[in-house]
Amino acid sequence: MSAPIMDPRIAPPFPAAALPILQNAQLRKNVAHATDVIQAKRNFLVSEKRDWQQLRTAAAAIRAHSLANLGTYLEQFEGRCTAAGGTVHWARDAAEARSIIIAILREENATEVIKIKTMTSAEIQLNPALEAAGIHAIETDLAELILQLGEDEGSHIVVPALHVNRRQVREIFARRMDLPELADDPEALTAAARAYLRRKFLSVPTAISGANFLIAENGSVAIVESEGNGRMCLTLPRTLITLAGIEKVVPRFQDLEVLLQVLARSATGERMNPYTSLWSGVTPGDGPQRFHVVLLDNGRSEILGRKVERQTLQCIRCAACLNTCPVYRQTGGHAYGSPYAGPIGAILTPQLEHMQHGQSLPYASSLCGACYEVCPVKINIPEVLIELRAQVVNQERAQAARWFDPMFLGMKAANFAFAGAGRFRIAQKLGRLGLRFFTGKDGWIHRLPSIGGRWTISRDLRAFPDQSFREWWSARETDRSKETK
Amino acid sequence: MTDTSARHAILERIQNATRSDQNVYAALPRDYVQRGSLDARGRQELMMERLREYGANVVECPAGDVQATIAHQLRLSGRHVFVVPPDLPGDWLVDGFSWKVDNHLSYEEIEQCEGVVTGASAGIADSGTIVLHHKETEGRRVISLLPDFHLCILGASQIVETLPEYFARCPEPPSLATLISGPSATADIEMTRIKGVHGPRFLSVIIARENG
Repeated sequence: MSAPIMDPRIAPPFPAAALPILQNAQLRKNVAHATDVIQAKRNFLVSEKRDWQQLRTAAAAIRAHSLANLGTYLEQFEGRCTAAGGTVHWARDAAEARSIIIAILREENATEVIKIKTMTSAEIQLNPALEAAGIHAIETDLAELILQLGEDEGSHIVVPALHVNRRQVREIFARRMDLPELADDPEALTAAARAYLRRKFLSVPTAISGANFLIAENGSVAIVESEGNGRMCLTLPRTLITLAGIEKVVPRFQDLEVLLQVLARSATGERMNPYTSLWSGVTPGDGPQRFHVVLLDNGRSEILGRKVERQTLQCIRCAACLNTCPVYRQTGGHAYGSPYAGPIGAILTPQLEHMQHGQSLPYASSLCGACYEVCPVKINIPEVLIELRAQVVNQERAQAARWFDPMFLGMKAANFAFAGAGRFRIAQKLGRLGLRFFTGKDGWIHRLPSIGGRWTISRDLRAFPDQSFREWWSARETDRSKETK
Repeated sequence: MTDTSARHAILERIQNATRSDQNVYAALPRDYVQRGSLDARGRQELMMERLREYGANVVECPAGDVQATIAHQLRLSGRHVFVVPPDLPGDWLVDGFSWKVDNHLSYEEIEQCEGVVTGASAGIADSGTIVLHHKETEGRRVISLLPDFHLCILGASQIVETLPEYFARCPEPPSLATLISGPSATADIEMTRIKGVHGPRFLSVIIARENG
């Protein structure tokens, strides 16, 4: 299978991208297994937490407060981080962030850079840009390494290689690490990755990370991880570059008492992830002595200004909404054509693309609300989905070709018919007459023309009754009044 | 190198987007559990239980027996060469082992050590978490990262029950902190949890009871 297209500007629409995946039984099995395991662990640990709803309320309030005062906290973060020896850069968009990072790496004469898993770097498509600049990026998270060596793309925010099984990992590692005898148990595969990356950790002097949280109070950065590859990248190199979206800032160190509790449980179903690292600027004698933070806007300030959509930026990237989503669980992540998959991706991606790309994504949902229920920062994803759908419809309205679209015409007609009771009654009558042509002798409609056929392709429709309820009711009332006379 | 026009443009856009809404930090709802309900014994037991769930080895001892317990745990580990922070109590460097004190050791020298012995800044029972602030008895971040075995000595009075209680003990945020909850792990391959990827594969904890 060729590598999926994860750039929303060129990816096919969601239904087209999902179709081949729905026929890939192995991939669907892998995704179902992984999401089932994480969900079961998450549900168990959430049920033992008696103050879960209070924690969610607090987490949502902290994130909303951070966004409402974003300018203040970013400036505070910048000041404290700079005072602690860091250098803060600002990037309006992806291209600007890429060129800032490449300029720093050039100054370091870097030919290689070790990376901690960062969604933001995938968002700005950093790795291809680094390669083009002659700098080889080495992914150090196990899942990211599997994808990089297998020339594949991530399909989940937290466990990006969940669509790959152990036999597939063995095949990739055996080929790319030249280990023909490698066994396919996860233990042996993990050990192979450990040995492969150890030399890199000890020799590559530059690293790139994302950020889980930026703390305004003392200018520190928090990274949450499991494997220790993060600690390696944050500790061993001479120079560290942290790329973070502007929305990642929180006011105080103490806010982590809420955010860390909800994040680990929601993301991996653990009481706490194995390692959380916090550092402020540069510490003499300990860790990188040159530290850069790149603050990325890339459409975020625009989202911030919209009333309903702003909550999108509260996200802490736990991926609980992916694991629970009935659509994601069937299609996996590649169908979303963006590093951000699942319900959060369906609202974040088109917004980051200024609603110019990814317009099919707000429709990749049944609006069941499971995502909202599990979200640890209470993002009302269905509400944002509906708002974005309205925007997509408005865009379509502006297009001349709409008059040839049966769906558009149907909606127009429905809009007209539903606007008044009289029109609605006439429409019912006309509908009853029209459908008579398609009703079989058995009282069922088996096939409809045009877009109606999309319904009847998999379901039968009962014939319209001869009378509407209202007609029956008024006839009955008339009869009664006759009787009483 | 920093382009100030990008900074101005972004901050201005944020300013325009948030002009009408300001709210007060002090008014944020904090109705979640702040303090635990366990006594000292209960906290310690919960800490031990949670550490063991992560696959860590954990023992307790009276404060007076710390030396002997360290010696015993190190013998059990089957290792001989240990790196330690410069300010670790001298009597913890028990006889029979080779001790490398981290006075600017190179990565190669640390990498060659079979283990590390450190103190800790706090323990959080609810999540089985050990907190290092990388101060005197905890050492630089690198020494508790490269060796494959980490023995951590935690005082019973350092254990709090809940995460908020730890934060309440830190009025000043530390400039460095590492929260460790069990040995390094991954579940990236078929969600099978594997102990030990890049960080220490073996975590051993001694909880020292100050009185009794």
